[in-house]
Amino acid sequence: MIETATLPEALEITCKNCGAELVLEAHLRTAECPYCASTSIVERPSSGVRVDPTFALGFVVERERARALATQWIKSRGIFTKSDFKKAIPERGRGLYMPVFLYGAIAHTTYECDIGENYTETYTTIDSKGRPVTRTRTVTEWRSLAGRHTTYVQDVLVTASRGIPNALLEKVEPFDLRALRRYTPALLSGWIAEEASVSSEECRKLAHDESLENVGRELDGFMPGDHHRNLRYQTRLEDEVSELVLLPVWVFAVRPSETEDPIQILVNGQTSEVAGDVPRSWVKIVAGVLVGIGLAFLVWIVIASLFLID
Amino acid sequence: MVDEIRTCERCESPVEEGDLRCAICGQTVPAATQRRTEVQVQILRCEGCGAAVEYDASVQAPRCAFCDSVMHLEELVDPMEQTELFLPFTIGGEEARGAVKAWLGSLGWFRPPDLKQRASVEGVRPLWWVGWAFDADALVSWTADSNAGSHRAAWAPHSGQARLRFDDIVVSASRGLTDEEVAAVVPHYSLAGAAAESTPPEGVTAEQFDVQRSQARARVVHAVERMSAKVIEEEHVPGSSFRKVQVAPLLRSLVTHRYSFPAWVMAYRYEEKVYRAVVCGQNAECVIGKAPYSVPRILLAVFGGIAALVVLAVVIAAIVAAS
Repeated sequence: MIETATLPEALEITCKNCGAELVLEAHLRTAECPYCASTSIVERPSSGVRVDPTFALGFVVERERARALATQWIKSRGIFTKSDFKKAIPERGRGLYMPVFLYGAIAHTTYECDIGENYTETYTTIDSKGRPVTRTRTVTEWRSLAGRHTTYVQDVLVTASRGIPNALLEKVEPFDLRALRRYTPALLSGWIAEEASVSSEECRKLAHDESLENVGRELDGFMPGDHHRNLRYQTRLEDEVSELVLLPVWVFAVRPSETEDPIQILVNGQTSEVAGDVPRSWVKIVAGVLVGIGLAFLVWIVIASLFLID
Repeated sequence: MVDEIRTCERCESPVEEGDLRCAICGQTVPAATQRRTEVQVQILRCEGCGAAVEYDASVQAPRCAFCDSVMHLEELVDPMEQTELFLPFTIGGEEARGAVKAWLGSLGWFRPPDLKQRASVEGVRPLWWVGWAFDADALVSWTADSNAGSHRAAWAPHSGQARLRFDDIVVSASRGLTDEEVAAVVPHYSLAGAAAESTPPEGVTAEQFDVQRSQARARVVHAVERMSAKVIEEEHVPGSSFRKVQVAPLLRSLVTHRYSFPAWVMAYRYEEKVYRAVVCGQNAECVIGKAPYSVPRILLAVFGGIAALVVLAVVIAAIVAAS
């Protein structure tokens, strides 16, 4: 029940339900009337700059559950976490369809590696009583191996949102992409969807880096021999596919104290995985180190005195 | 087939109805129809009562808060697999029974001499067992340790890439037949004779695929990996022994069809024990099954062998003594 007028960037819309004037901000795809909570969806027209998402993944985790998960996560942080943070209650949770760049390619790799093959050899040595004895030991023979490796790189996800750093997204991955649906505005109704704010070149670069990491991991398991070391490889990514997808996340802002910046906590809206940057307390860390040193000292004294009594 | 067959733009594997992305290489499947609308801003309304709807996480679909109706969304469909092609039975029940009788008589001297006469075939049942047959091209990267080129250690590392072609490779989805039975009957089928419909013999047990499409694909891809490793081991790794063979197949044009294969399954009784035999439904000469061994004959052979050795030893001793 929202009527609209089109503006080049920010979109002005009027809620037909309560008459409120709303602005659809440039970085958002959808809006909800904050006054009457009318849950209609607004679909921004796609322009040359804006890319329509290809797929979207629907929310599975509901608001209350997401909040409970975030609260529990905050409470269960380690002992070096700031006390203020552990007492904080997650506020301003919002379910957000975040724009993500879904990337795939064929990776052609040439590699070189040193492969260690073990063998046993016998050798003669002198034992503790001064007699010569024959023993066996395992020796590694290093051989070099070069070769080619070709594979599909699939399901690489990198953030296309300036608001959510890629490292944070990685912490709540994986998403089960089998549940992807073809993008339809209906999927977003009543939820906030962000526009992609990272350029596709930048996304592609991040995706390349992640793909190379994946290839490296795969090569690691691909090497024969008993050991390997010094793996060098060069990868060419061809036949690339990239799509803009919308993934469901719950974003919570936690402000440990008035003076500090809020800390972002992300909950995977599909799998309930929680992640965030935990603020460490330097006081606690220093105290911990001191206590450690003190304990080591005590143990040393006890052991030393035991030996002295002997 | 009524539908036009669509293939993936990148790896040329067929894409099935309902696929959003290629199952092999991950390429996006283009939408069948373009949803480009003229309206600048879209408001979603319930098809039932016209109220605005909202996506509901609990049902994972847009739901109308007023009339509770749920909208349907296009999503990845994962239906149960179903046979698309049937191979006809080309031999009948009597022929199959005869084939088993002939087989019982051909098993060799270590079987009971009266096996063929006294074995009573009890149940002869036609079975349409299910499986996939695939064709694929694969670029297989491999590494392995082999004895070829080894120095002090027993093994030396090797690597390579090979283009392999797979044609009509059958992967069983059957619960009724064992893998061993499937492996024995599969070479005797002619896939060219398959049809979308076929008249079965009376009382046929038609197996159903009990897996979904996604699992089916995983099993076929797994089979390609297994086959690739086998071909690489046999034809590409140098030397006479090897270990730690690693393969990474890059699949192209993976075409899979779902078949029902005909077989005759029968039970026969010999001396109060029941044995099972399977006859390929298209070739009476292909029989696989279990059959009893003759204990007296095996013992006879063992003692006969020992006796022969003793006689030989005595003769040699005599010759040595005589000279």
